[in-house]
Amino acid sequence: MHIPDGFLAANTWVPAWIVSMGGLGYCIKRVSVFLKDKTVPLMGVMAAFIFAAQMLNFPVAAGTSGHLLGGVLAVVLLGPYAGAIVIAVVLAVQCLVFQDGGLTALGANIFNMSFIGAMGGYIIYNVIKNLIGGNKGIIIGTAAAAWASVVLASSACAVELAVSGTSPLRIALPAMALVHMLIGIGEAFISVVVVSFVLKTRPDLIYNNGEEAAYE
Amino acid sequence: MNHSYIDKYADLDSPIHRIHPRIKIILFFGLVLCVTLTGRTAYLSFVIYGTVLFIIAVFSKIPLLAIFKKILAVIPFVVLIAVFIPFFNKENGWIVFSSIVIKACLSIFSMTLLTSVTKFTSLLKGIEGLKVPKIFIMIMSFMYRYLFLLIGELQRMQRAKESRTLLKTNNLNVIKTLSNIIGVLFVRSYERAERVYLAMCSRGFDGEIRTLDE
Repeated sequence: MHIPDGFLAANTWVPAWIVSMGGLGYCIKRVSVFLKDKTVPLMGVMAAFIFAAQMLNFPVAAGTSGHLLGGVLAVVLLGPYAGAIVIAVVLAVQCLVFQDGGLTALGANIFNMSFIGAMGGYIIYNVIKNLIGGNKGIIIGTAAAAWASVVLASSACAVELAVSGTSPLRIALPAMALVHMLIGIGEAFISVVVVSFVLKTRPDLIYNNGEEAAYE
Repeated sequence: MNHSYIDKYADLDSPIHRIHPRIKIILFFGLVLCVTLTGRTAYLSFVIYGTVLFIIAVFSKIPLLAIFKKILAVIPFVVLIAVFIPFFNKENGWIVFSSIVIKACLSIFSMTLLTSVTKFTSLLKGIEGLKVPKIFIMIMSFMYRYLFLLIGELQRMQRAKESRTLLKTNNLNVIKTLSNIIGVLFVRSYERAERVYLAMCSRGFDGEIRTLDE
């Protein structure tokens, strides 16, 4: 889902950069209100955590392997604004150092994964969490949001490729969405196991979990 | 732990390495920009970009094989996304496909060269000069600092897991165990972040990062 350079036309990547930068600026503003000078060390170490978690290879089937994307994991643990920043920083470092995702496409990649995937996922998570309530709500919310975030982010990617004239929408969108509906199951499973582990060991570290929130 | 994949060739000494990081960033970012903005059938321009990058690579004394290996590692992903284009775009599908693959390879070549001739810390310093908000630079330098530590921690946990699971189990169990490892890594990273912050506070940190070469 990391779009490389050359796939997007300027009519897509320029607006995507502008929207992403504006969105990230707003996120930083919201995060520094409650994290204050803790923002930099916490976000930095958490970005390193997501990066390391993405390096872990999970066996899938027939010898293939996949890895966690971690968008919903980040927003469930850190909240929507901090989660979006962490994912964006991870994408930027992957683009600069590992050429994973293009430079001109970085804005679009941040838009897809930080805003559509992670933040969109957070909205779904939040609704389900409040509807069901308790730890059960957190678990079910995480599962649904993780699955939806992968599908939504890949659909956004397909729309951008279509707007750029790279591939027609009526083929790219169903193809991307269908493949990622399968990938999303793995993402949901891993996210649920990680979140239930944190619920068992340090429930206070989950964002907005009862009164004893870690951010105070 | 082994972390040679970042900054492996950044300590070499060559005319290209000695250029000021900000100029290098502008040069290579500019090249990527030119490549993406070039028309789909402007093959001559692609050849020129490739030659310029090749000459820079020769002058930078970086083993060419290493660069090509790095490009080759990324190409499968590029082709995977692009491969269905020719089948659905009957009129000029192959032109779109080939131009996209060429553009992607040239951009990756350019970015690989940039990170091979510039240390990550100077890369960040150079980007900071290009008016990227300071808070992102600070988060990225923190991430860089703790990345190797966390990867090392992850590798130790994996080794511990492997030395305790001798029998072959089904994939579901493996995925569960690996997910729990991520859970442990999160709790440890969070607690580490808190300790780091307290250590910084006790040394007079007030939200501003000061470096010696300012």
